[in-house]
Amino acid sequence: MDNAMTTFDWMKHAFDYIGGAQDEPPPGFPVQLGHWWFWAVWWGAMVLAIYVFSGQSSKFIYIDF
Amino acid sequence: MIFNTWDYYLLFLIPSAILCRVASPRLRPWVIFMSGGLFFTYFSYTQFGGIAGAACLAIFLWETFVSRFYKSSSWICWFGVTQTVLFLALFKYRNFLTGLFWRDAAHNPLYWKNAFLPLGISFFTFEFVHYAVDRYRNKTEEGSVTEYLAFILFFPTMVAGPIKRYQDFLPKLRTISREWVVDWQRGLTRILTGLVKKFAVADVLTAYTNHLNWMDISRAQRMILPLWLFAYGIKIYADFSAYSDIAIGSARLFGIRVPENFDWPYLRTNITDFWRHWHMSLTNWLIDYIYIPLGGSRGRSGKVYANILVTMLVSGIWHGAGVNFIVWGLLHGILLAIRRAWRQIRPMPVTPPLWSQLGSWLLTYVAVNLAWAFFCMDVHTALFFFRRLLHG
Repeated sequence: MDNAMTTFDWMKHAFDYIGGAQDEPPPGFPVQLGHWWFWAVWWGAMVLAIYVFSGQSSKFIYIDF
Repeated sequence: MIFNTWDYYLLFLIPSAILCRVASPRLRPWVIFMSGGLFFTYFSYTQFGGIAGAACLAIFLWETFVSRFYKSSSWICWFGVTQTVLFLALFKYRNFLTGLFWRDAAHNPLYWKNAFLPLGISFFTFEFVHYAVDRYRNKTEEGSVTEYLAFILFFPTMVAGPIKRYQDFLPKLRTISREWVVDWQRGLTRILTGLVKKFAVADVLTAYTNHLNWMDISRAQRMILPLWLFAYGIKIYADFSAYSDIAIGSARLFGIRVPENFDWPYLRTNITDFWRHWHMSLTNWLIDYIYIPLGGSRGRSGKVYANILVTMLVSGIWHGAGVNFIVWGLLHGILLAIRRAWRQIRPMPVTPPLWSQLGSWLLTYVAVNLAWAFFCMDVHTALFFFRRLLHG
């Protein structure tokens, strides 16, 4: 049970980190902020996803509805 | 729109963030409020109300003028709160409220035909009220005129939050982060993450959530109905957390950290915890400026339940001018009250077993998603949705 929760929290932390919500990676995570090759690939993948899915945009729901 | 336009990034965010970073501390508030004023005018004129919308910049200037008279325990603070709420009522609820008396708009003498909402009014209202109340309580310093203008016109958070607090913002404005590389690396990553969530998740799900209307519900197979509603649950999370990601990432480019809004809310195992992690800056505002002044968790249990219901009713009304939003807010109030009552009967074990946590998570997730029906459909359609869901 404890192990499952620890793994779960570690994964949340890792997602937050690669999403830009955390400055520090979780313990043992192989990518640091200084690993520019990783971030270049990651940014490239995100830009590609944005490019592929853009053009169908609707307004943001919470901007005064 | 706004955050998914080139104009936002090329005309406003990048130039303003760089200027803010290179400006001297004395000029920094000027950069922020001038860019915020231009941002408000530009996007209001092009997207929200045209010239009349752009003229609503006067609301910020008037608020700043009035705020200079706020003092500890002064009645002027309450004047400030009242006028702010009246602005919101005038723009957002006028047609809804008068429509309760004159159901036919054609016969409603107070009906506002070309009604529009000033950009970000639902959110800047919270910051205006916060400042007035905290000045009354002597919980925040006055700051200079330019600092206050920078606070209310800081454009990354102006339109849809996260809702800031003046006492948190001021030190960050005065001592801006000097870690350019880390801030820009994290800020840009956060912005891109938000855009991916918006384009690749939220907008894609629109194809399913668009079916949440009377006609499609009446024709659909019964089994498909919950899928549409659960798709809406994912869409609204992806959409609003994307917006918050972009706002927080944008602020980071300025070297300013603003509050977080979401922390994995759909993984929470009870409704109280859900609200502690969903739109957190709103929840904290509601607790500090509605729930606690009403008495909070102190006093008789009946009073506490009433406080919970009133707070969530305010939340519902704020979310939109419609009976469905009132029902949605009350529904969450009832869920929170049930959870509180349940915990008083059966206190939470220190380490609940895994099956119990999974069951609690499922119950919370389903309850929150079913409640979205009253958020995305009018009451009539939502009830029809549930009738079809239960009886085919």
